[in-house]
Amino acid sequence: MRRAGLTGLAAALLLGLLLYPLEGSGYGVRLMLQLFMWIALAQSWNLISGLTGYVSFGHVAFYGTGAYATGIVITKLHWPWLAAALMGGLVAAVLALVIGWPCLRLKGPYFAIAMLGLNEVLRVAASYFEGLTGGGLGLSLPTLHASVPIYYAMGLTAAGVTLLAYVILTSRFGLRLMTIREDEVAAEAMGIDTFRYKLYAFLLSAVGPGVVGGLSARDQGYIEPISVFPLLMTITMIVMALFGGKGTIWGPVLGAVLLFAFQEVVWARFIYLHQLLFGAIIVAVVLVMPRGILGVLQQKYNLPRTI
Amino acid sequence: MSLVITPAMLGQVIVSGLLAGSLYAMVALGLGLIFGVMRVLNVAHGPLLMLGAYVTFWLFSTVGLNPYLSLLVSMPLLYLLGVLLQRFLVYRVVDAPELSSLLVTFGVSIAIVNLAQLAFTSDLRAVEYLTGAFVLGPIAFSKSRVIACAIAVAITAAAFLFLQKTRLGKAIRAVSQSREVAQVCGINVGRVHAIAFGLASALAAAGGSLVAVMVAIQPEMGQVYTFKSFLVIVLGGAGNYPGALLGGLLLGLIEQLSSLFLTTQVNEAVAYVLLVVVLLVRPTGLLGGRAS
Repeated sequence: MRRAGLTGLAAALLLGLLLYPLEGSGYGVRLMLQLFMWIALAQSWNLISGLTGYVSFGHVAFYGTGAYATGIVITKLHWPWLAAALMGGLVAAVLALVIGWPCLRLKGPYFAIAMLGLNEVLRVAASYFEGLTGGGLGLSLPTLHASVPIYYAMGLTAAGVTLLAYVILTSRFGLRLMTIREDEVAAEAMGIDTFRYKLYAFLLSAVGPGVVGGLSARDQGYIEPISVFPLLMTITMIVMALFGGKGTIWGPVLGAVLLFAFQEVVWARFIYLHQLLFGAIIVAVVLVMPRGILGVLQQKYNLPRTI
Repeated sequence: MSLVITPAMLGQVIVSGLLAGSLYAMVALGLGLIFGVMRVLNVAHGPLLMLGAYVTFWLFSTVGLNPYLSLLVSMPLLYLLGVLLQRFLVYRVVDAPELSSLLVTFGVSIAIVNLAQLAFTSDLRAVEYLTGAFVLGPIAFSKSRVIACAIAVAITAAAFLFLQKTRLGKAIRAVSQSREVAQVCGINVGRVHAIAFGLASALAAAGGSLVAVMVAIQPEMGQVYTFKSFLVIVLGGAGNYPGALLGGLLLGLIEQLSSLFLTTQVNEAVAYVLLVVVLLVRPTGLLGGRAS
């Protein structure tokens, strides 16, 4: 009975989101598009860091890579935008493979810092290879006059990444990842090829940001090194995932919705205090609620992992 | 960006590298101290350095205090701030997974940078005190860098003496070797943690005060030092205090050497690439023997 009610609610919500652009204002559509973006990003970070405990402190590197890959194939090869954004996801996954191969052998803070370094290196590279990226001047994409197609594509990406989280969390693969998180040495001793599973998770976690970066690049029509490799974006996705509950299916979604709404309603009025508040929220969430909202509920009410 | 390197150029690079490196070593020693004692990577280390620079700027522009004397104010002030940070925030995450301590210090770092922006605005500030250079044959030494180097060496030496000779210094080293054994021996670990955080912040402040005379001051100037300090302790071996000294000099030399071939912007990326390469080849640092 309760289950039927939940299914009905979910169906209504989905239908509402599908039909929204037909009635919604241009501003509303753009706002929802950004929310989808944050859901996809927070959920992607969750796939590697929430599940394996390996903190990716430079996950925006995949977003930036996707944005540039998309921008380059659109401007140089005149690909259609959707194919270009999928290309962005693919390039990000290949980068994850190349970077993950050495870096996932690093432990604890070393992995976090290596990822931070990767992002900085890519940012510098983006301004250095001027012929390809336009350097510091950036890259202008042909203008797109409607956000609605991007709205659907971004929504689909957010749903896809969340579905991926569901599939992983309910599979043996997910269990293995969580074993690595709890005790990597024990996991190794149990015969789990930890490196291989970490690499798979890392690769999967890069696809979403790659596609999202490509879609945002298309939507904004302009990319430059500092706008697509900002450290703060990594931090925002981490905080959203933490706030809702890392290592759960719906935690990153909940965190993204709440913090995004909070940001639109409250922070917009305090432009100067915006980041200060953000820093305070990070500290507060980590100290007071390290498991996030869903993590706390899960523990308190003994809810299943598939939440 | 020339292809021919003369001996004079090489000499200049070595001198500049050692001058910069001694400063890196002192600042990184602070970061290494916190990491060694608590296994916490303090991302706010650079922003604390920035606060040190503002203390110097502020005292210089309001009461005209000699920037080098302002070390006597910036270091105790930041020592106090470091102890407070440890006592009220960081102590809660010392035993938590790395993500927690990384994020808490990151949150602190965002807060410090933005408070500085509110208080001092984002305008570039300068302490115009010492300009010009000593010239020795074909090699020029910037005066402010020579003095900064001398003071940094003195402070680093004092810190080493403190760690080696005093009871408190020995207690700090004992805690970084084994917290449990130190505790059993009657060492107040909480107190040692607070003192180590305070000392580390004071070292960062000293770096900031010295840098204030050399470069433009702005709220975001610190972050790059967090990263450089991390690079230094990785080069030197995490938890290896003399290693930090060598790592600092090495970073200074590498940066200057690569500036012969590359533009400054790419030069920055060299440090990051180097960091990843070192981590991959020797995950415990170039001089680090034991795994952490």
